[in-house]
Amino acid sequence: MEDIVGGWWDRLITRVAYQGHPEAAVTLAEVERTAPVFFRAMGGDAALTVRSAVGTEHGARRRWLERIAGTGDRVELAWQDARSLYLPDVIDHFPDRALNRQLYFWLMALAAEARAGTDWLTANREATARCLMQMPGLAALYRRLVAAHLKTRPDPARLHGAEAAWEEAIRAALASPNETSALPAGQAACQPVPLWLHPTPPLSGQAEAVPRQDGEAEAEEAARREARKRRRYRAQRVAEDTRKNGMLMVFRAESLFTWDEYVKVNRHNDEDEEDNAAAADDMNRLSVSADATTRASRLRFDLDLPAAAYDDTPLGPGLLLPEWHWKQRRLVEDHVRLVPMLPRDARPAGLPERLRAPARRLRRQFQALAPERTRRRGESSGPDIDLDRVVRFLAECGSGVRVGEPGLYQSWPPGERSLACLLLADLSLSTESWVGDAGQVIDVIRDSLLLFGEALSATGDAFGVYGFSSIRRQEVRFQVLKDFSERFDDTVRGRMLAIRPGYYTRMGAAIRQATRVLESQPAHRRLLLIVSDGKPNDLDHYEGRYGVEDTRMAVREARAAGLLPFCVTVDSEAGEYLPYLFGRNGYTVVTNVRRLPQVLTSLYATLTR
Amino acid sequence: MNAPVSDIVRPLADVPFYQPVAEECTLFEAAWRQQLPVLIKGPTGCGKTRFVAHMAARLSLPLFTVSCHDDLTAADLVGRHLIGAGQTVWCDGPLTRAVREGGICYLDEVVEARKDTTVVLHPLTDDRRILPIERTGEELVAPPGFMLVVSYNPGYQHVLKTLKPSTRQRFVALSFDFPAPEVELPVLMSETGIDAGRARQLVVLAGQLRRLQGYDLEESVSTRLLVYAAKLMMAGLPPGLACRTAIVEPLSDDVDTVAALLAVVDTQFDQG
Repeated sequence: MEDIVGGWWDRLITRVAYQGHPEAAVTLAEVERTAPVFFRAMGGDAALTVRSAVGTEHGARRRWLERIAGTGDRVELAWQDARSLYLPDVIDHFPDRALNRQLYFWLMALAAEARAGTDWLTANREATARCLMQMPGLAALYRRLVAAHLKTRPDPARLHGAEAAWEEAIRAALASPNETSALPAGQAACQPVPLWLHPTPPLSGQAEAVPRQDGEAEAEEAARREARKRRRYRAQRVAEDTRKNGMLMVFRAESLFTWDEYVKVNRHNDEDEEDNAAAADDMNRLSVSADATTRASRLRFDLDLPAAAYDDTPLGPGLLLPEWHWKQRRLVEDHVRLVPMLPRDARPAGLPERLRAPARRLRRQFQALAPERTRRRGESSGPDIDLDRVVRFLAECGSGVRVGEPGLYQSWPPGERSLACLLLADLSLSTESWVGDAGQVIDVIRDSLLLFGEALSATGDAFGVYGFSSIRRQEVRFQVLKDFSERFDDTVRGRMLAIRPGYYTRMGAAIRQATRVLESQPAHRRLLLIVSDGKPNDLDHYEGRYGVEDTRMAVREARAAGLLPFCVTVDSEAGEYLPYLFGRNGYTVVTNVRRLPQVLTSLYATLTR
Repeated sequence: MNAPVSDIVRPLADVPFYQPVAEECTLFEAAWRQQLPVLIKGPTGCGKTRFVAHMAARLSLPLFTVSCHDDLTAADLVGRHLIGAGQTVWCDGPLTRAVREGGICYLDEVVEARKDTTVVLHPLTDDRRILPIERTGEELVAPPGFMLVVSYNPGYQHVLKTLKPSTRQRFVALSFDFPAPEVELPVLMSETGIDAGRARQLVVLAGQLRRLQGYDLEESVSTRLLVYAAKLMMAGLPPGLACRTAIVEPLSDDVDTVAALLAVVDTQFDQG
């Protein structure tokens, strides 16, 4: 009984004490899609992502009703750190919905203008002044926001001491951001200002989690000191990455040495998740996990080596290829063994039912693309008259020298585009990762290959499809899905359906082999399309700089051989290394993996138009 | 040929308006004096065509502009026989006319032209400066006044459509970009007669939108679009609507991007 009455009372008093306007609330989700574009246009750091902020304690005086209800001690404010721009999850400060929505845009504009250095009040006031000076439209909006906000602020006449002085200062700064004013003496917890950025932004979880080699201990110690100093305000968002599951190891506990480091593992929680969320809301500081790299590098071993019987069918003993050693600055001959393979268990198969409709559409589109208009002159029949020849013919007739039966027509036969395309797909284990409800990356790649094949067989262009993965330099597995000489038929489709992800990404060797294959094609223009999902890497030293440099060298060799290498990647961080590998106009990043099939085919159409 | 500048350069009153950004006018004139062909690269609507028109007028040269496209053949440039009254008449193409009259031949978006077409330019672009016309058996030698200017937009992501290195290397190249705000402002004002206040707002808006280039927009707002927006405002349209019609909608078809761009416009032109 007590529980029930208590629950009623809680709901009632919470609702009465609540100061916002839930009926006019605007959520971050509503502006989420426009927010990044807007923030970048305002001059915000393009690398930042937009995330929702969590409430933090403001410590200011509350109304008696709020104190009774035990609410109103937290507020969601905006701030930014090195990785993200944090915006309130919901804004309902104002009774007007439009104004609440515009507050989001104001906060983004302000965050883009914010400079570090001075104290909270001056920094916000100056950033506001800069915004208003550059953007007259925003200035009008700001005046409306301030007018609405000032109504909700406490009256300084009813406050005392430092509190009153601070309130006066905030009001003055809000009303006339262009005028400098002295900071009031003393410390006081002021009523939060939703129009401004967070006075003491919570520590960035990400920045702390990045392991540092040098001065790591000092930095952590400093962060800890900081945390103690301003502990009252600390709350932190911990986002567990549900996609990365910890490794499940079946072992006898006593056989393992003790680890004294914290290893991050996502364990399943039995408790009620909502309770957890509520508890987390109430906590001032959630634990920070700084971890993982050292452990990860030590714990990497081949759990995924299949038994020989289940492995793909190798075609011959393999080819030896060179590899670029960037430190020695030379091409190490015969350094890598590449094994062409056919996927095992590949049975001829038709196109899966769900791909039939898009395939039909693509075929139609690409058939239209196929015949390039090349004029052929001097035909004995054709849709157009060859004016030059008619003129010459008439002139010759006039001069009395009659020459045979000339061809006086022009025609546009389906021209040879003289284009060959080799598609090289990354089939490393990383493609096994999931992309929401679209399934795994490998599924999307498989669909892309099938649709790409359908589209290209409609154009009549010569094309080949290959996949690759690698286990050290001894075995780069080069999957032959469709050779240039083969027709795109059910055998090929079956092979594409049978591809499985596995192992690592020794991209350089695969590109070199693809270059050799494509070089032997007689076509006039030769396009080497690479579909990838991440950086080159392999178990031995083929990671980081070494892999990138070798791949870059392989791309340069391909270009020198007269091919046109182009990379399509689904790795959202590819902007960091792909310009170096493929050049600024040599790659494209597919942000929505599900759209890979469409992007790939439309890319082919535009690239070769 | 080496006459002082003042003898040749026409008074600016008769010349199409062009606001120099850097040394491009001096460079162009020097290239013309030294009989060098010029390649201009830059994004859409940054003033390439206007610049050439301006320079042609300043140097008092006739200008022959060809907009290149996929079906442009060498005959379209050089000329062809037409049937006249009982006889054939040779009709010069724009390139031949420019060579005969000693003017500027300007090939706009030259990468769009087929590769075999651009090859006819080769003998004109080296020290021979000749144009052999195969069909009439003529070989024209370009007079000192003749100049070849080509332009293209390097922004397009199109691996198969770039200039052949052998063609590129025959030109001196000027790189254009959108002008700096303090240059763009007078351009807008003198092109449209808009007041300084709104012109500044437009220019700042352009600066904001150009930050999105490469992230959210393939190509950002050009000076030409700003001029259109200013013209719509001069015609009495409310600024928000003018910017939406002339700037936001031409830039993107994506609903979310359009919404975000409109929010950016609102930071300059409040709609209440």
